[in-house]
Amino acid sequence: MEFLRPSTWDEALAAKAEHPDAVPIAGGTDVMVELNFDRRRPPALLDLTRVASLADWAADGDRLRIGAGVTYRRIIDELGGRLPGLAMAARTVGSPQIRNRGTVGGNLGSASPAGDAHPPLLATGAEVEIGSVRGVRTVAVADFFQGPKRSVLAPDELIAAFLVPAATGPQQFAKVGTRNAMVIAVCSFALALDPQRRTIGTGIGSAGPTPLRATEAEALAAELPWEGKTLPDTIVQRFGELVGAAARPIDDVRGSAAYRRHALAVLGGRTLRWAWEEHRCA
Amino acid sequence: MTSTQRQPTQSQPAQGQPTQSRVQDAAQRSVGTASPRIEAWDKVTGRAPYAVDHPVPGAAYAWVVQSTVARGVVVDVDTSRALAEDGVLGVLWHGNAQRLESVGDPELMVLQSARIAYRGQVVAVVVATSPEAARAGADLVRVREDGMTSDTVLRIDHPALYQPVQVNAGYPARSAIGDVDAGLAAAAVRVDATYRTPAEHHCAMEPHATTAFWERGCLVVFDGTQASTAVSETLAGLFELPPQSVRVINEHVGGGFGSKGGPKPNVVLAAMAARLVGRPVKLALTRQQLFAVAGYRTPTIQRVRLGAATNGRLLAIGHDAVSQTSQLSEFVEQSAVLSRHMYAAPNRLTTHRVVALDVPTPVWMRAPGECPGSFALESAIDELASAGNWDPVRLRIDNEPAVHPEEQIPFSSRHLVQCLQEGAERFGWTDASGRVVRDPRPAVRRDGEWLVGTGVAASTYPSLTWPSTALARATADQRFDVEVNAADIGTGARTVLRQIAADALDVPIAYVEITVGDSAIGPATVAGGSMGTASWGWAVTKACRLLRERIERDHGGRVPTGGVAVRADTTLEIRDRPEFSRHAYGAQFCQARVSTMTGEVRVDRLLGVFAAGRIVNPTTARSQFIGGMTMGLSGALLERSVLDSRTGDFVTGDLAAYHVAVSADVPRIEVAWLDEQDPHLNPMGVKGIGEIGIVGTAAAVANAVHHATGIRVRDLPIGLAQMIGKLH
Ligand SMILES: Cc1cc2nc3c(=O)[nH]c(=O)nc-3n(C[C@H](O)[C@H](O)[C@H](O)COP(=O)(O)OP(=O)(O)OC[C@H]3O[C@@H](n4cnc5c(N)ncnc54)[C@H](O)[C@@H]3O)c2cc1C
Repeated sequence: MEFLRPSTWDEALAAKAEHPDAVPIAGGTDVMVELNFDRRRPPALLDLTRVASLADWAADGDRLRIGAGVTYRRIIDELGGRLPGLAMAARTVGSPQIRNRGTVGGNLGSASPAGDAHPPLLATGAEVEIGSVRGVRTVAVADFFQGPKRSVLAPDELIAAFLVPAATGPQQFAKVGTRNAMVIAVCSFALALDPQRRTIGTGIGSAGPTPLRATEAEALAAELPWEGKTLPDTIVQRFGELVGAAARPIDDVRGSAAYRRHALAVLGGRTLRWAWEEHRCA
Repeated sequence: MTSTQRQPTQSQPAQGQPTQSRVQDAAQRSVGTASPRIEAWDKVTGRAPYAVDHPVPGAAYAWVVQSTVARGVVVDVDTSRALAEDGVLGVLWHGNAQRLESVGDPELMVLQSARIAYRGQVVAVVVATSPEAARAGADLVRVREDGMTSDTVLRIDHPALYQPVQVNAGYPARSAIGDVDAGLAAAAVRVDATYRTPAEHHCAMEPHATTAFWERGCLVVFDGTQASTAVSETLAGLFELPPQSVRVINEHVGGGFGSKGGPKPNVVLAAMAARLVGRPVKLALTRQQLFAVAGYRTPTIQRVRLGAATNGRLLAIGHDAVSQTSQLSEFVEQSAVLSRHMYAAPNRLTTHRVVALDVPTPVWMRAPGECPGSFALESAIDELASAGNWDPVRLRIDNEPAVHPEEQIPFSSRHLVQCLQEGAERFGWTDASGRVVRDPRPAVRRDGEWLVGTGVAASTYPSLTWPSTALARATADQRFDVEVNAADIGTGARTVLRQIAADALDVPIAYVEITVGDSAIGPATVAGGSMGTASWGWAVTKACRLLRERIERDHGGRVPTGGVAVRADTTLEIRDRPEFSRHAYGAQFCQARVSTMTGEVRVDRLLGVFAAGRIVNPTTARSQFIGGMTMGLSGALLERSVLDSRTGDFVTGDLAAYHVAVSADVPRIEVAWLDEQDPHLNPMGVKGIGEIGIVGTAAAVANAVHHATGIRVRDLPIGLAQMIGKLH
């Protein structure tokens, strides 16, 4: 197996163009497991950890541009205030060791429906910046996933960064697992309120072939009493039901489809209530 | 236990000039003092070498190839491609492996025949110059298997179930007193329920691993084992070597929980491989390989029948346990044995039946018998309490036996009642005057979306002591070297043995050096059955006392320049102990909550109160109790090995799929112990503490879940699925 070690972004793109079957490796917390389990035997590994620009983040107007190589640990420590939903999700990832190594770019790269970064990125309308020797393109996260572990990345492309608006209101993330840490989600849900634009963003994880939005639940935003009033239980319940209905779950070893729908309805209602409390008290 | 005596390491005969000073007496006792483990720094800094960490020059590496059918034969093994791989030194399979002499355990007769008895059985071993080359070679070995229909599922009505002669630990399979059916018929309140516990895997941190080499006809191995004396005797038998030609070193062992209680295929394979390639061989099984090769706790199905009179006195106890074993070896989990002594009742029946399936061989796992058995019995007692409207603590106290209810022999000491009372008060179950303040009604305590409840269960574990030998040596500079072939599997064994030695020598602990984990020291028993401290400690005490006596008597209290050495063996003392029923007891209390929205089950609080003889080291003892209770909690809520009935494969074969509790699952765990004095045990007055902590935990959790929700879970682990749809 070849081991390619570019030290700049341009070298990385050139290497990927020359070796389209090289597997990029960032934190390695997915790649190394796959190699170890012999699920994958790539002819080459493309180590991205020396590409300094991937580990940078910066404000870009009211958006943040966060390099694909920024770890969960740094999202929590450095961006917790501006991206509370993503930081909450990051806190539930693996263990401290995994959060020290693992990156959001890697989570996107794996494109697992259970990836914990995906629901908050969906809920906030994030975009993925993709590069290749052919140029740069930007894809909405909602369009990035193509199926279980499949994304729009072409063989010569790499994820450069993701672009996400700094929070303009309360954000929440909730995950159900069979234990309290080190667990792949049975299902997860992210919510972002934008009181100025009076919108709700949603993201569902682990309950469909790709991470999903609950569009009909989002449409309930029009019915919310934005002027600081308490939220009627009926709306909370409807919201939850619509979140559950948006899921396209299957039965698997982690949970049944029926349980996932039920739990998502609970998580939907619960996160809306929590976010609303924060909005009312703000 | 059979044991082969080694030549004691003789120190020089006493001669030369006496040293100036007399041996200094200890100012205070070491036993009872809290202190951290001696090797703690070495462990956390990575300096402690485990079985394959020992640097041996020229080592080769082995990788196993496993069967992919649950039952069948190996038709052919094509090693040519593997042998052509760079770095591959050799491939062992049944066609070329050396013949082994049987020692009674077919599981150890590795690569001796074409027969496949379970999926994952080792059918070939590749040896290479690097682990990577060995693994690559293993992929290239072509094994042609002829699979047959297999039978892998334990059922309570399996036609092949039979009653064995004995169950694990040598108990009879059946015991009967009075007439259980008549007792049940006469009872005012009855319980008849069936409980199920799943297969579980030990998941010790260090995998089963061995470094082996041959040196002038002698075999030396570093093995991650709980029993290096037993491993050395077994290897001597298998390879037909004189016992003194095998040395097994296990200085540090990264956990075992019973799975390393005896030799496993890895140590035999490593020795065979080392002989094949003529150089040292390291063999470390992977986590995935362990699930088939290293043993597991059998699933159990247990029926418990209880009948009580209107006053809550038990009239009948029936406990029928069913478990599985492999086609290779008979291992019978003694799940019903604890029901023979926990409670008084005139009519009693316990039975065990087992079926040999096409599955890997089950083995000891922390508190074999008592752990699954207590889930059944202690859940049933709780069901009886609910049915009769009795307080579960009171009900247990009311059925306390005066002597062992089946053997009619006295208990050496038994403080179950005191543990229950002490625990109930600490937990807030009773007030200071002993009055019950817990509301017995199920499903009435709400905390937001959560239903909250409390539960109790009793714990017990036998207090065993087995013969061991130890060596104590004094040097002229007033230092003492004490050696005993204990295995410190992370329990703190060497730390407490040093404390015991210091007291027996009556010197400050700083003067004592302790060495464990080497079969060359001399025979000693397994780190299992919670009997290590009692067994090794007795040998250490005897050796140290004899040494001190000899220094006083023969040398006037001064150690001569050449030093003095004494070896002790406790076989006779243990044989001559009077007959008592010796057990540790305890009580566990749990507060659990269940979400009415999601069905999640969370444990808020666990309290364990134990009466386990003298506690040698509060620090390490607390860790043992907490560790046991944590594992019990993990079993209650998470652990389950799922076997695919079609393939005979444990599909939950890694730590991503086999869930053990993580820190975030473990609540406040409180542990307390009574100051129990028992003169009928051993010179130290210790009972075992390694296993009792896991006994009863699952029942305490299940009972708390019932109190919280009204839902009775009889099938472990307690999961979301059992809650959803039943919660209101
Ligand atoms: C013990 C453990 C626990 C875990 N727990 C969780 C959890 O709770 N939640 C969760 O979501 N995940 C979890 N994971 C999975 C993993 O940690 C995450 O998916 C993580 O985000 C992967 O990031 P990484 O940097 O390690 O990716 P890598 O393993 O380096 O790469 C992952 C994939 O992305 C590709 N890739 C990486 N960088 C790029 C790039 N710049 N451009 C294109 N492709 C790229 C790689 O080729 C690979 O296909 C866990 C993993 C382990 C081992």
